[in-house]
Amino acid sequence: MDLIVNIIVSGLISGSIFALLAIGFSLIFGVARIVNIAHTAFYMVAAYCIYFATHKMSLHPVWGMVGAVVLVTLLGLISYKIFINPIREHEGAVLIATIALAMAFQEIMVLKFTGTYLSVPSLVKGYFVILGVKVFYQQLLTFCVALLIMAGLWILLMRTKLGLAIRSTAQDREVANLMGINEAQVAMMTMGISVGLAALTGAIVVPLTTLEPHMWLHPLIMMMAVVVLGGLGSLKGSFLGAYILGFAEALVVFLAPMGAFLKGSVALSVMILVLLIRPEGLFGVSFEEER
Amino acid sequence: MLLEVANLSVWYDKAMLLNHLSMGVETGELVSLVGPNGAGKSTLLRAITGLVAWEKEITRRSTHGDIVLEGTVTFNGERIDQIPAHEIVKRGLILCPERRRPFREMTVLDNLMAGSYLLKDRDEIQDNLKKVYELFPVLKDRSNQISGTLSGGEQQMLAIGRALMSRPKLLCIDEPSTGLAPILRSEVFQKIEEISKLGITVLLVEQDVSTVFKMTSRNYVLSSGKIIAEGTGEQLLQDEVLRKTYLGL
Repeated sequence: MDLIVNIIVSGLISGSIFALLAIGFSLIFGVARIVNIAHTAFYMVAAYCIYFATHKMSLHPVWGMVGAVVLVTLLGLISYKIFINPIREHEGAVLIATIALAMAFQEIMVLKFTGTYLSVPSLVKGYFVILGVKVFYQQLLTFCVALLIMAGLWILLMRTKLGLAIRSTAQDREVANLMGINEAQVAMMTMGISVGLAALTGAIVVPLTTLEPHMWLHPLIMMMAVVVLGGLGSLKGSFLGAYILGFAEALVVFLAPMGAFLKGSVALSVMILVLLIRPEGLFGVSFEEER
Repeated sequence: MLLEVANLSVWYDKAMLLNHLSMGVETGELVSLVGPNGAGKSTLLRAITGLVAWEKEITRRSTHGDIVLEGTVTFNGERIDQIPAHEIVKRGLILCPERRRPFREMTVLDNLMAGSYLLKDRDEIQDNLKKVYELFPVLKDRSNQISGTLSGGEQQMLAIGRALMSRPKLLCIDEPSTGLAPILRSEVFQKIEEISKLGITVLLVEQDVSTVFKMTSRNYVLSSGKIIAEGTGEQLLQDEVLRKTYLGL
């Protein structure tokens, strides 16, 4: 019984994290066709910002989180302006530029904080017990905040004028242009939202994980797998795909012998299977209409 | 002249799509552009509405060769060939694009709202919406439906409705009847006539010459990027060579 609870808790939390990451990644891909490999590197930078704020500046973690989100969003916008925007129409070049960007962030973190494992204190202490399984309040908080962020994003996209512009541009940027939507500006703002989401994810996940300069790699692979499973460019697909993979990972970790070592292979197996059986994913956008 | 195009030339790399083309549309007219495939009709509409310049801008560093745009486009007394595409609609000029291109995964209502994106006044938007619904009652019935699931005819109505939401002075429509059943075609043409009667100037690109010539006040025949003839439907149809070679009648 406690095994089931463990799987549910673990699946819900990692699913929410993957969902936040994959939604942010899909958003900027949908609007500007940018495959941002550095997406999870921004998440890592945010986590380090919080570490810096709490350990080097002795600030309360909440302030660290707020500061991290603001700083990393700015960093994202600056990176976009300098490295991505000038080559935006060339998908291959963007891909390589973002890989380079991610590596650069990783090496900067190695230089600044060395490669040792670091950690950040929880925001809330203590735990409660469901059916013999300890659930930390911090886990509950992370899960709830993740859901809140997603709800907020949904409102932004479906109920505001900026959301309408983002959705229109994602569908057909030429026609969006005709309607008076400045697609270059929308792409820039979407980049801000996307990186902001990555930073927020880093902020809510950091108390539950250990920091090290390669911590962006596993989420990157999971996020890619989620996006492949859900369908490139589909936010609904990213959301569902994230929980499917979150639970798949939890199942393998808890049920398979030596499961923790097989964790990384889950995503890749799912990715290969989806590409073989249904390359467009669960809710893939078909690109036939594009010129 | 509401719209005046002078000496407009467009090259896509080495292909010259428009060749020193000049034409104009007066306020209140319903003008058509006809001609064989590849004559440059769509390119002309795209150049007028700023899409060629936009494409030029985004393909600036591509390896496919450059887009060159020369000549002037004047709308309502103002030169618009240097203005970005997304600012042109503000001036009252809009294109209802080829293949309709609704925002397929958005609802009908959201599509229409995107059409009035630049309008700030809520009452004005609601007023526009009411007028579009009056013209196309089917859109009102389907306002919450995802537009990709509409039929071809309904999608065409939506595309025109979306363009009308910006309250244009000049509405350019690119091949509205393509891919529609004959009964829907005549409905679309009827709606375009109604729009024209509302006082909106219309510039229409269409293949179905025989129907179009009955509605328009003036027509341009395009071939190889040039205007080769201009006149009322009757005048153009009297020219035997024109009729056989360019209009396919």
